[in-house]
Amino acid sequence: MEMDRESGKLEQIVSQFRSKILHVVLDSRVPSLHRHQQQDSLSLSRVRKTDKWFNLVLGDRPPALENLNFSLRNLLDPMVIDIILVRHASYSSSVDNLYAPSAAAAGPSTETVIERWVVQYDCPRVFATPSGAEAAVSYKKIYKKCIVLLRSLYTQMRLLPAYRIFRQLSSLNQTYNFDIVYKVSSFSHPFSREEEDGMKEYNFAPVEALPGCLCVSVIYHATLSDFNLEPLVSLPPKIITDYVGSPTTDPMRSFPSSERGAHATSFPFRGLRPPSSAPFQRPHSWSSGFHRGIPPTKTQSLAGSPPVYRTSPKPYDITPPPTDLYGNRIQNHRVSTLQQATAYDEYKLSPPFSPSASPSTPTYLSGANPLLTRHCSETAPVTIPLPPTGRSNRYLSPNSSDPSRHSLPPLSPRSSKHDTSSQESPSGIRSYRKIEALRAGESPSGLSNLYSAPKVVRDSKDDSGRFSGLLSSSGSPRIGFSRSSSRLSFQDDMDDCEFSCPFDVDDVDVSDSSSQNTENKRASEFTAQSNLIGKKSQDAAVGILVHMLRTAPPLRQDSSCYSTRSLRTEYEGGVGIASGFFMPRKTADALEELNSYREMKDLLLSKSGTQVVRKEGMK
Amino acid sequence: MNCEVCQLKELEVEHFEIREVLRCILHTIVFHRALGLVRPKDVDLELFEITYVQCGDVELEKKIDERIDHFISWVEKHPNKKSQICLSFYEVKSKQPSWFTNKTERLYWEQWYVNLNVTQHPKHHSSKSHHAKVVVDPGESATEDRSSRRAMVEASLREVLFQIIKFVNEKKDHVPPISDGVIYFPYEITIPSSSDSAFGMDMIKRMLHSGHPTMLS
Repeated sequence: MEMDRESGKLEQIVSQFRSKILHVVLDSRVPSLHRHQQQDSLSLSRVRKTDKWFNLVLGDRPPALENLNFSLRNLLDPMVIDIILVRHASYSSSVDNLYAPSAAAAGPSTETVIERWVVQYDCPRVFATPSGAEAAVSYKKIYKKCIVLLRSLYTQMRLLPAYRIFRQLSSLNQTYNFDIVYKVSSFSHPFSREEEDGMKEYNFAPVEALPGCLCVSVIYHATLSDFNLEPLVSLPPKIITDYVGSPTTDPMRSFPSSERGAHATSFPFRGLRPPSSAPFQRPHSWSSGFHRGIPPTKTQSLAGSPPVYRTSPKPYDITPPPTDLYGNRIQNHRVSTLQQATAYDEYKLSPPFSPSASPSTPTYLSGANPLLTRHCSETAPVTIPLPPTGRSNRYLSPNSSDPSRHSLPPLSPRSSKHDTSSQESPSGIRSYRKIEALRAGESPSGLSNLYSAPKVVRDSKDDSGRFSGLLSSSGSPRIGFSRSSSRLSFQDDMDDCEFSCPFDVDDVDVSDSSSQNTENKRASEFTAQSNLIGKKSQDAAVGILVHMLRTAPPLRQDSSCYSTRSLRTEYEGGVGIASGFFMPRKTADALEELNSYREMKDLLLSKSGTQVVRKEGMK
Repeated sequence: MNCEVCQLKELEVEHFEIREVLRCILHTIVFHRALGLVRPKDVDLELFEITYVQCGDVELEKKIDERIDHFISWVEKHPNKKSQICLSFYEVKSKQPSWFTNKTERLYWEQWYVNLNVTQHPKHHSSKSHHAKVVVDPGESATEDRSSRRAMVEASLREVLFQIIKFVNEKKDHVPPISDGVIYFPYEITIPSSSDSAFGMDMIKRMLHSGHPTMLS
């Protein structure tokens, strides 16, 4: 009787020991069982009867465990726990799994035993069980040693390679192309030689449990890096329907601000989604060649509303002093800077944000420059209505790789003539011509051409005012001004005023085209160009521009050296428009500048005797 | 009862790694010697991809952190020195009071020596921000050196943990019986004191209490 009681105790210790090991192993390897326990918050606080065994509180035992204990009730049989890695086959790439998420599970999968735990009570057939006090001491020692073994097993479970992938699977934020399952049996299929390669074995010190001993061992893969375990892309594919140029997109629509809480006072980014949780930014339809090399995340944030850069904590959103800022920008975002230069050239003679300029880069690029961001944050969103189609066609460069892109209008015959004598013309004109020539050869690889443009401009002796500043945008802070809405609108205004672009001239509509005088040429250039630009819808565009200027919120104080006075002075000297460092200015300053240009033009015309039709809307 | 001694493999760590490394090692040892009812608590290291286990006892955690703070203070005063922390488990035995001894004595039955070599590289300062700043400037080579060094420390730490598991599994007979209601055996964490001589005095004191010569393996 006493012997039965004693053997019953031993049997109980061995049985509970096996159950405890099974619980520890499955809880540390099988995510589904682990989650089952974690979901029951009560289980974490109270101590169950099973927890008291070996003084290790593990929580509720999964129901499967109880069934397993029953099926393995023969304590003399080994308990083999196989931890199996199930890898789901993907036919092409993980991206395809987006379209058929269940395909990952439905396809053929590969199963590999990554760990095998063996718990065995080695007991000789014939043995003598201890009795009395000796047995009690014996069972206490056995129990204590089992506790120590379970502690070390619990610790080792977290040090083996399989624990890492278990933790990955347990995280709810990501799905993977693999899973972990288990198999418990009383026998094990031996590993093949191939399977044994790369596996290590560890044997825990056996616990003497007379008449036998408890043995625990593990065979495991030393590394799991060869299994190509990777997370699945969890986002479903998105079809973006409202992009710039889409027939369904409202041209006057302003897009919502960024999720980062930036101001909505920015350029209306047509066709662009606000920065969202989507990790990828598809290349935009207007981005042919110019956005290569920009990482998607940066693209996305760049395309977001400019004020994001002031509030976002990302490094490239920091707004240091302008010089540093531009220095950094130049270093890190050279491509985007060049895009801005390109875009401005497009803007110069075409109304920004016009729907016909569907592939126009302004919405993209305006977010690329933090200084521009600052400017933009100060101004109200401005939209300029779509001019009549005929006008927009003028802005298509025949050499542009993207025919739908806006570009400078083709050079007039006089302009081409003037190219040869460009050195005598005001530098601004020269600069513009050179830029125009570069643009004529523009292509997706025209980036390099454009990049050289600023250098050309800088080399000019008579760098004229704002446009030269624009042209040297790649290396100077002058990029910023071109992005300011009021500036652009002013540019358009100037364009529409026929003398907005003092650098080029079109003699199609200029009555003094026969004049060879330099001053006449200049005046005619002003006139012709403006005629070319705003011929057909000048009235409408001008009217809208005026309204916009009048209603636009004030810009920052302009600290630049550019002023109308200097403008006049230099003009009188025949040098051309004064150079200046463009900073955001108030609408009043812009109007003042406009008026000064108007006066200049009148002066020129009066000298040349050419009558220019003035638009009433400009007054 | 013999006093089992385990000299753990020496770890070369930087100043900012001391706390995490010591927490990992000390808690792992105590977890294997906390044979009372415990609810294990998994703790992920921040600097390394290692998860260790704590007993879940708040007082224990507090005391270990306190000793680690003292050790870090000592390291700051004695830079670039090899140091040793001793974690000892003892039994309290009452005995006849005398002129030179107390009523109770401590019988040390196990001692763990954690050997650290705290290095301070000339390029790297103790502050993390400065270190990060320095890393950026030299470029990729410094980052690669740093990551390879970090991997080495992680591998060494993992080896130390396996060493602990091996030791506790191989030597179980010397562990005293578990008392009811006691979660972990009485322990003592000894850090080097301000002078080496004082540290030596601590060792002699321990020898007197234990009554056995300290066996250093």
